[in-house]
Order: sequence, then structure tokens, then C-alpha cells
Amino acid sequence: MKNGLTFFPKGVHFFRVSMQLLKAYWQETLAYRGMVIIWGIHSIMVPFVLMFVWLAVERGSNSPYQDGDYILYYLAMPLVMNFIDCWTVFTFPEELREGYFNRQLLKPLHPIWGHVFEHIAAKAFQLLCLVPIVFSISWFMGDYLPDIDFSFRKIALLFFALLFAVVLRFVMNTTLAMTGFWIEHVETLNLVFNQAIWALLGGMVTPIETLPPIFRIVTDVLPYRYTLSFPIEILRGKISNGEIIIGFVVMVCWLFLFSLAGRALWRAGLRIYTAYGG
Amino acid sequence: METSSSIVTRNLCRTFEVRRKSEGFLASLKGIFWPRSNFVRAVSGLDMEIQTGELVGFLGPNGAGKTTTLKMLSGLIFPTSGSISVLGFQPFQRDYEYLGRISLVMGQKQNLWWDLPPIETLAIHREIYNISQAEFRARLDELVEMLEIVDCLDIQARKLSLGQRMRCELAVALLHRPQILFLDEPTIGLDILMQKRVRAFLLNYHERFRPTILLTSHYMEDVIALVQRVIVINRGLKIYDGTLNELSKAARLEKILTVTFQSIPEGFSPLAFGKLIFQEGPRFQVKIPREKAAETASNLYSTGKVLDLTLEEAPIEEVLGELFAS
Ligand SMILES: Nc1ncnc2c1ncn2[C@@H]1O[C@H](COP(=O)(O)OP(=O)(O)OP(=O)(O)O)[C@@H](O)[C@H]1O
Ligand SMILES: [Mg+2]
Repeated sequence: MKNGLTFFPKGVHFFRVSMQLLKAYWQETLAYRGMVIIWGIHSIMVPFVLMFVWLAVERGSNSPYQDGDYILYYLAMPLVMNFIDCWTVFTFPEELREGYFNRQLLKPLHPIWGHVFEHIAAKAFQLLCLVPIVFSISWFMGDYLPDIDFSFRKIALLFFALLFAVVLRFVMNTTLAMTGFWIEHVETLNLVFNQAIWALLGGMVTPIETLPPIFRIVTDVLPYRYTLSFPIEILRGKISNGEIIIGFVVMVCWLFLFSLAGRALWRAGLRIYTAYGG
Repeated sequence: METSSSIVTRNLCRTFEVRRKSEGFLASLKGIFWPRSNFVRAVSGLDMEIQTGELVGFLGPNGAGKTTTLKMLSGLIFPTSGSISVLGFQPFQRDYEYLGRISLVMGQKQNLWWDLPPIETLAIHREIYNISQAEFRARLDELVEMLEIVDCLDIQARKLSLGQRMRCELAVALLHRPQILFLDEPTIGLDILMQKRVRAFLLNYHERFRPTILLTSHYMEDVIALVQRVIVINRGLKIYDGTLNELSKAARLEKILTVTFQSIPEGFSPLAFGKLIFQEGPRFQVKIPREKAAETASNLYSTGKVLDLTLEEAPIEEVLGELFAS
């Protein structure tokens, strides 16, 4: 095996490693709880501002989104954002710069797992803060929200759409983070590719379903929609079965492509890595 | 006892490419498209062979290529050319079985989780290296006792003193009982007392478990107390490989004697037994041959006029400087 970096350690002790790492990252999250809470609030603010903007805009009665749809869309968004949020693009280059990557590289455990468990711990904590806020607002605004059914089928679809969204976003961001082996300021690239374009084509600024068909060709082919808008579209329930299937297929394709690219960058990066420091 | 080779390198080389930064707008614009690089040869043609259980000192001045060699041996970086075999593995392939058998201690923030107490880092390592609970307890108790770190285990790592942290780092690095231990300046930044404790620990540990240890240091005290064999490199080239005794013949090992008199004894001349470094009233500092040190000191004491007398090892760079010159 080249580079000797297998994803799973041999034997069955991976579960125990996971639990121990989760526990450690949970403690770290608590140590930085102030910062984590501020990030959580930050992720609520932008969708709420956008919600009020769209509620203030005049629109005809034949528009696909009415007030209630916008409220639902932008209320669900902070929760989705909490799940898909990924910051390897900041932490990985920092690890490289500060020399912490050295220690990850010399352990019989793939360095990616540290990032994975760190994300899980931080998100679990953020969710604990977010859920009460979002749900109390939903309750408060209940009269304006459109009716949505929660069939088993929908909950299952929602679960998988979210899961794929989380994984896709993680893989996209982490692949970009790998360029940190060559480039000093990956954050700038991230700002363009994963923030600006994502906000536009992922459905943050405008719900995808309200875009004219010509734009839909772009949004439906690019990966961004699937990391934000897609799960909310499923929640809203106006998306057809055909669209859902195509959506999952496109997602899997991007996941595959980004994984391949990330793997190639990882291997090439390790070859040129000079482990400065020490 | 087994005497097979644990570490073998043949014609090991490592070159670093360093981008040259250009001054001025046009020049830096040009630099983006046609980057110009310098090549630094950190290690060139290193051959070495270290037997299982040996404790070897790896010496050389700043920038000699010591850390670079340790990084290649542990598997952090690829060699530019040449071959390495450690325990029969090629380190840069980072086989998990290999990583489970070695440890690298480099700098002060190697393994400890900064925001957690050391005991948590140790627990994480227990799982990563798949150590049974019983084995973990036994090893931990042993390391805690040898390193005297009972009081440090539950304190957030960032709040520990440098000396406490270094000893906790060692505990973490040794928990999985590595067969090979790479130590890059383990005593750097520690006060004299703490250096002594770390040294005593390493000696004791090596005695008990016989791991193969390759250690770099800029302190002669470390070398004399710990190692039997030294490998000296300069500018990436090996210039000496042999026992400490032979080294002391090749390059005179000296001690620095500092003496302060109540009143200078009659007929006292520092030049009679060594090279005068400085004199300041009744205070003299002299460089003397190692083997004469004890005798000279007792002679001086016997005059009854000594207020204070210390003996230290001459700095490693001075000792090795003669080697580089020859
Ligand atoms: N990552 C790197 N990129 C570029 N050059 C490097 C890198 N690491 C080391 N070098 C260069 O390689 C040479 C050897 O460095 P190295 O760190 O191995 O020396 P050393 O013997 O450990 O020195 P010291 O005693 O100061 O720790 C130096 O000239 C250094 O500038
Ligand atoms: Mg060094």
C-alpha cells in the first residue's frame, strides 16, 4: 500500500478510537464554547436577514414562493448550514503552517479522522444551541408557515439528502484544503469558490426554485445546490421524484470526482511536504 | 542479545527547494510566472548503520541536517535519493505497523493536546495504539513514577511549565513502547536541573527497555552522560562516526574550570594547567583537558584559598569545531 495511509486502522478498535476522539473534541468544543456559539448565531443571522429582504419584496401571486415559503426556507437554512458547515479549509493549512500536521502524520491513524470527529463534536454542540432557537421561532411564526407532511418516506429522503450534503461539502472543502500543500492562502480561494459562488448558486441568496429555467441548468449541474438547497427543497415537498433521483445521481458523481481529486492532491502533497519546523 | 541493524541508510540525500523572493513589483510579477529557486542540500550521501538497542548521539552545528535526517528516518518527508531501512521498513511509506513501533519527539508541541490535560492525550494514544487497559495502567504508572509527573497529569497542557510539558511529552511518546526513538534536542530550553532529570530518565529508560535511540543535542553534558557512540555531521556530510572515547582523542574534550579565590595563592598561574579564557580580579576561567579536571580542582582546593569552584563541559561546538577544521 503506497504511503501506508489506510483509512481504517486494522482490527476492530476503530470504534474505541472514535469514541475517545469524540470525547476529546467534545471537551475542546466546550473549552471554546463562546466561539462556537458565536459561529452558530452567525449562521442564523444571514438567512434571517435574507428572509426579511424577500418578505419585503413585492411579487405576483403566480410566483412559486409566497411569504410562508420564504419563512420556511430561511428557517430551515440555519439547521442545514449547521450540518454542512466545514472548516478544514482553515484548519488544515494552519496545521501545515504551525507544524501540528507532523504529529498527525506519524500516528497509525489517518489524519482525516481528527477533522471528522472535530466537526461532529462541534456540530453536535452547535445544534444544541440552534434547535431551541429555530423551533421557538417556528412556533411563534407557525401561522405563516405552509403545511408540510412528515411521512416516513420524506424523513428518509431528508436524512439521506442531508447526509450526502454533509459528506459532499466536507469532501469539497477538504479537497480545496489540500491545495494548502502548495498555496499559502487557501482562504482566499475558499472565499471565492466555497463562499461567494456557493451563496449564489447554492440557494442562499435566492431559493433555487425561484430561479428562471436558464439558471437552473447551471445550478442543477454544479455541486453547490446539493449542499444547501436540495434538502430544503425536499422538506418543502414541491420537488418531483424524477428531480430527486437526478439530484442524488449528480451528488454521487461530484462526490466521486472530488474524492478522486482530493486523493490525488493528498498523495502529491505528501511527496512535496517538507515538514518545516522542529 | 540481538545485534541486528535497526537503522540503515545508504547514500541518503535530501535537497530542499527554496523559492527566491524578488524585490520590486516587476521582478515579483516575473517571479510568479518564472519562479527562481535555490537548492539547499540539507543531507548529502549519508551512510549509517545503527544496531538494535544502541543509544547514538547525532551531533553537528546548526543547519547541519540533523533534524532533516530524523524527519526522513521517521517517515515525515521523502528522501531525494538514497535508501533507508528502519526495522526493515521504508519509513516514508508510513506503514501503520512501522508507525506503531517508533516515536519522534521534536519540539515542545509534538503530541500533547494543548487544551486538554495530559491524561486525556495519553488516553487517546491508548486507543490509537491499541493498548489494553491493564497494560496501559501498568505502563502509565511506570512512566509517571520515572518521570515524576503525577501532579501534571490533570492540568491543562497549556498551563504546564516547559519542563513539565517536556516530561509529559516523553510519557506520551513512550506509552506505546516504541522500539525506535528519535529525540530531537529533548533537553533544549530546560534549566540545568531539569536537563539532569531528563537525562537521568532517558538513561534509566534505555537501561530498562533497550530501545534504539537516536538523539540530537547541542549540550555536551547530554552526549557525555547518555551516548556511547556519536555520529557527527556538518553541512549534510558525515564527518565522524565512532565511540565517544575515540572522539575525545580526535577532538580534545575539555572542561571549563571557573575558580574564585579569597586571595590569589602565591605563584598561581592559570597558564600552568590550561588555556585562560578570562580573568576578573580573583576570578579565573580556564579551559583544561578533561582527564586533568579532578586533579586540578583538588590541587586548587588544597591551597585553602578557594571561595568558589565550578567545572563544566566545554560547549559542543567548540569541541567539534576542531573536527570540522581538520
Ligand atoms: N522545510 C525546509 N525547507 C527548506 N529548507 C530547509 C527545510 N528544512 C531544513 N532546511 C534547510 O536544510 C538545512 C538543514 O536543516 P536542519 O533543520 O536539518 O538542521 P539541524 O542540523 O537540525 O540544525 P539545528 O541544530 O539548528 O536544529 C538548513 O540549511 C535548513 O535551512
Ligand atoms: Mg534541528
